[in-house]
Amino acid sequence: MFRFLATRLASAAVAALLSSLAVFLLMRAVPGDIVGQMLGQSGNDRTAEAALRGFFGLDRPLWAQFGDWLANTFTGNLGRSWYQGRPVATLVWDAFLVTAEIAVATLVIATLIGVPLGVLAGIREGTRTDAAIQAFNLLGLSAPVFWIGLMLMVGASALLEWSPPFAYMPPTVDLAENINIIILPVLSLSLLQAAAYSHFVRDTMVTELRREYVRAAIAKGLAPRQVYFKHALRNILIPLVTFIGLILIQILGGAVVIESLFSLPGLGRLILSGIQGRDYPVVQGALLFVVLIAIVVNFAIDLLYGLIDPRLRS
Amino acid sequence: MPGSRLRLIAGLLATLAAAAPALADDSLIYGKTDPAAKAGGKITVGSLIEPPSLDPFLQGADARIRVSGLMYQGLFFEDQAGIPRPLLAASVTVAPDAKTYTFKLREGVKFHTGQAMSSADVKYSYDWMRDSKNGSPGAGDLSSVTSIDAPDATTVVFNLSRPNAALPMTLTNKYGAVVPNGYFAAADAGTKFNEVSVGTGPYKLKVFRPNSVLVLERNKDYWQKGLPYIDEVTFATMPNSAAVVVALQNRRIDLALFSRPQDAEQLKTAPGVEVKRWPSLNQKTIDLDVKYAQLKDVRVRQAIALAVDKEAVLKASIAGYGTVIGTMVIGMQDSWGVPIAQLANQKVDIAKAKALLAEAGLADGFDIDLTTIIGYDWMDAGAVTIAEQLKQIGIRVNIKKIDLGVWIRNFRAREMGFTFNDWGTTPDPSLLFYRHFRAAPQGADFRNWNNAKASELLDRGQEETDPVKRKAIYTEFQKLLAEDPVSIMMFSADLITGQRDRLKNYDQHATGWYFGLIKAWLAN
Repeated sequence: MFRFLATRLASAAVAALLSSLAVFLLMRAVPGDIVGQMLGQSGNDRTAEAALRGFFGLDRPLWAQFGDWLANTFTGNLGRSWYQGRPVATLVWDAFLVTAEIAVATLVIATLIGVPLGVLAGIREGTRTDAAIQAFNLLGLSAPVFWIGLMLMVGASALLEWSPPFAYMPPTVDLAENINIIILPVLSLSLLQAAAYSHFVRDTMVTELRREYVRAAIAKGLAPRQVYFKHALRNILIPLVTFIGLILIQILGGAVVIESLFSLPGLGRLILSGIQGRDYPVVQGALLFVVLIAIVVNFAIDLLYGLIDPRLRS
Repeated sequence: MPGSRLRLIAGLLATLAAAAPALADDSLIYGKTDPAAKAGGKITVGSLIEPPSLDPFLQGADARIRVSGLMYQGLFFEDQAGIPRPLLAASVTVAPDAKTYTFKLREGVKFHTGQAMSSADVKYSYDWMRDSKNGSPGAGDLSSVTSIDAPDATTVVFNLSRPNAALPMTLTNKYGAVVPNGYFAAADAGTKFNEVSVGTGPYKLKVFRPNSVLVLERNKDYWQKGLPYIDEVTFATMPNSAAVVVALQNRRIDLALFSRPQDAEQLKTAPGVEVKRWPSLNQKTIDLDVKYAQLKDVRVRQAIALAVDKEAVLKASIAGYGTVIGTMVIGMQDSWGVPIAQLANQKVDIAKAKALLAEAGLADGFDIDLTTIIGYDWMDAGAVTIAEQLKQIGIRVNIKKIDLGVWIRNFRAREMGFTFNDWGTTPDPSLLFYRHFRAAPQGADFRNWNNAKASELLDRGQEETDPVKRKAIYTEFQKLLAEDPVSIMMFSADLITGQRDRLKNYDQHATGWYFGLIKAWLAN
């Protein structure tokens, strides 16, 4: 177990380091920097450019800039946003709380809708119920998340004369207002993820129900409910847990689009505005955080395998 | 109207030049006053753009200036009629040689911190702004200032190396503002602007949550008694125009300024929402880098100008919500512009354009990249229209979309190529033209024009204090610009606002900034 943990931690550290280096180099490979953004179409004064470059440390060699950032990161200091002046760690954490709320709410709703639908379609393979659920899956998987979001927004306005507020309110401050704000973005993401879940669970369930042990169990006279839920469903838990991990990462990706669409101050928008404004510390810090989340999620999934499948514990 | 407006400006400048003190008329600052106005209430303004930071000395970005002008003030207010009205200055006296400006400051002005404003604060602020090491985009506009003195608590003297008729307009609210003396001594002063405002303006910063909201609250100690009327203004960052429309219809927001005028179309029938059009100081242009490919040849530049049907581009890109221009933004056309009929290369003439290309040895046409900027929606339709128009004279256009940061980098490096541009100004011809077209090092000459005659005219225009002579200089300059089109100024887009009917007396300033909120009020 210790060796397993040590190996995983070492590979996680290497992944984090390499991805940070890639982000650092990519950001600087994109033409234009914060100095240009600040001076815009103003005069020809190169003194101002040089002074601002010096202020942001952009006049130093790349290896020195990266070395500084890395050394500071190891001490837990992700630097400060060049525009806002606030610590990047604070900005990232505040934004993460918003994204996490969206992701968790989406995961819960998508699971509650997608898994039962998938199980039902699997059990009723070939029936009209199965066809209807598959049609839902197809719609959910093929409709772009931004289109769903836009349609929900316009639809809510046209039918209910209602639109979500635009100033994000944490649930701890005003839960009702918070639900007003996140309901449409969560529904937009949930529809896609519920369809993905349903599609995955149906296929796995169909495969599982064709196995010999299922036929044997039915031949022994076990009630179908027991066969479906005690045996078949349990056996699809391992791939399902893997899939949940993938879904969670996917939700984080979808959050970038949905946060922009609904003006939510989450990680996606933080990274996007950081890239547009060439606010390097923010982009580097936020993306490092996202990489760490991906690592933690994968790590948690590995541990869950052990809990679900006794054969893996050894 | 043109004559009367010009006479107004002439009168003001003549007053300055005659060394008599120009007195502030408070009623003319920030637009017209409504006698029925009532105090109180809160409003939300929907905005598609958000300031990256609130430091009034940095970034010429419109997103910042729109809101910082409510918190910070300069010595003058940029009246959109082209008149710099004394704001923190109470009066100004100009020496006969036009090289010394003496400002008497308004008394009873307090910063948001509670401390009283004095001449030391003004000197400190403008010294900070004009020191190019501090990175203010406005530093270049104050290059004629050699020193600033504060002989007593209410007097500030600007000493100039050469006359600069644009100085009062330069001391308005676009770049820099008056902040407390010594403010920048603190290491985090620049970023502190995002947490606490230290200006003298009618609104104070309450909350700034980037990517979400900016909330301003009424400054109870504001020196213009009774202003502003509205207690709190929330600027909500909106994701797209569709969301803005929906939010206006559903009373989530009270005011929005549309970046694409046609987006306001669907609000015309919405109950309780009023859509208004306002003239602007903005222009949409095609810029031509004189060092780029075939554009090196003046005949090619002229041919392109003759092939561009500005009216068609205006209709395609912003559904006609604007006015075709020659060489001057529409908001300043009456005061400083030259009638289009008197300018060269303004009317479409395909035959002449083809002849010019043939003369340049390009009878078979050529391929060229036209750059547009991601996020500037009007450019997409505009570029397709321009491509079709240039096809008529054999120029094959390849449309290239790039990120704004990349575009700015190319622009500042004077490697703009053949590109669309979108820029605004404060209402003074020197501030409009000088940095763009004056040869380096005095100007930026982004288009590599390096035109000695143009530079000489721009220098003279900046120094000339006689309004009639100044007008003549800029007339000559504009004719030169039209003859050698390094920038094809196509049209000024109207500013379009959508506002709920409970918001009263909101006038949209031609710059696109939110000065109108200061005298706006809310009906119950």
